[in-house]
Amino acid sequence: MAVSTIYSTQALNSTHFLTSSPSSSSKQVFFYRRQTNRRFNTIITCAAQQTVVIGLAADSGCGKSTFMRRLTSVFGGAAEPPKGGNPDSNTLISDMTTVICLDDYHSLDRTGRKEKGVTALDPRANDFDLMYEQVKALKSGIAVEKPIYNHVTGLLDAPELIQPPKILVIEGLHPMFDERVRDLLDFSIYLDISNEVKFAWKIQRDMAERGHSLESIKASIEARKPDFDAFIDPQKQYADAVIEVLPTQLIPDDNEGKVLRVRLIMKEGVKYFSPVYLFDEGSTISWIPCGRKLTCSYPGIKFNYQPDSYFDNEVSVVEMDGQFDRLDELIYVESHLSNLSTKFYGEVTQQMLKHADFPGSNNGTGLFQTIVGLKIRDLYEQLIANKANAPTEASKA
Amino acid sequence: MMSATASHGGVMMLPSPSGALQHQRPPTVTGSDMFRVRRKEPRGLRLVVAATAKYKGTKMREEKLSEMIEEKVKEATEVCEADVRSEECKVAWDEVEEVSQARADLRIKLKFLNQDPLESFCQENPETDECRIYED
Repeated sequence: MAVSTIYSTQALNSTHFLTSSPSSSSKQVFFYRRQTNRRFNTIITCAAQQTVVIGLAADSGCGKSTFMRRLTSVFGGAAEPPKGGNPDSNTLISDMTTVICLDDYHSLDRTGRKEKGVTALDPRANDFDLMYEQVKALKSGIAVEKPIYNHVTGLLDAPELIQPPKILVIEGLHPMFDERVRDLLDFSIYLDISNEVKFAWKIQRDMAERGHSLESIKASIEARKPDFDAFIDPQKQYADAVIEVLPTQLIPDDNEGKVLRVRLIMKEGVKYFSPVYLFDEGSTISWIPCGRKLTCSYPGIKFNYQPDSYFDNEVSVVEMDGQFDRLDELIYVESHLSNLSTKFYGEVTQQMLKHADFPGSNNGTGLFQTIVGLKIRDLYEQLIANKANAPTEASKA
Repeated sequence: MMSATASHGGVMMLPSPSGALQHQRPPTVTGSDMFRVRRKEPRGLRLVVAATAKYKGTKMREEKLSEMIEEKVKEATEVCEADVRSEECKVAWDEVEEVSQARADLRIKLKFLNQDPLESFCQENPETDECRIYED
């Protein structure tokens, strides 16, 4: 782990330009100025890069590759594994963002977990002290040597060097489990998949594999459920945004899980985050865009918007049930949503089009993932603007 | 019908006139047959390859993961016969989930992202066995 040190000087009444020299390429620069007439007043302006940290909680660890792509794509550039490193690395890097898989902080590898009788969902299988230390270091602009958990071999591989990025995303089962880590997050998201949808998705995922059958898929979900409910699910109360995925209400008795009802639950009062709304902020709206101006195919699209309460927090909920079938449906919907934090008209649609072949591109999952990406960009820009304007007052010398 | 005007770039294209009623479609619409308009390819030529591994090493990983799934499902089924609520049973199915997800991740990378995980390793080490180009 790279460490930066601060050197003090004897000279008074002068401006000193000091650089520490960590092994990483990101330098920390301190302007240190002491005035004799105000002996105890020092102002340190830290021009160091401030990393914005985003937490994303989802089951099955870091399988949300397409979600990550949507998030990082808002910032431009494709997120790719580190070049020249361990091919089984879980990390993704783009110009602005680095995505870390929290499975890398497993304290027990597959054999270890088998011996101790704990699943990966269990906090006992994870090193939260290390997670906290390293996320804290990256947030302060210090590079870290992060372990790699190899999902193929089930072993902990040699660590990889992670440079502090502009935006750090920590993705996995426990981003909000540990309170210290939670406090480091500038924004947090929980992807809440209902049991029926989870079952349908896992069937789609696994049925082609020769080892699997409906029974094995079902048994796996049920066996993991107690640990999931005990350790993972409770994190959603801490999230700033929850994307809840449920079966559709538009098709009676649908169990295919292809048409989805997706709810974006946004916490009110979060700094730099203004929830999306429909038509009239704070009111309750039910909206079916399909009609005279817009023709939709079966089963159509239905939107809801309302203020609500979620685990004792005030929230706003935007909900989409159904599917987009054509480009003009998407642009029509976008033009009626407010507070999207887009930079130009049609940006949501453009982002969705960029990844039109990803799963979820035609329903609320893709839509809300994209919107959350734009919200994160907005939050990032506000945070950076704020930090640039306010020099940090150091404590009395 | 709402007309879409793009103020930025030429990415969005207006759909062909489709004011007429859409005929009934089955509810199983996937993401890929969603937009029936051409979208502009991202900058730079992108070679769209089929969803198979490019390097032998990746193909081997795919096969290994598939084998592991089979093995671990068998194992979990046996272990759970004794006691479905035991720790061993939980852990066994968790392992199945882990390798199933790892298998799916690899498939997603190859299919949707056109990224072979061995790409950058093989650029540096083209002579290794793992980096032989996989031929069907």
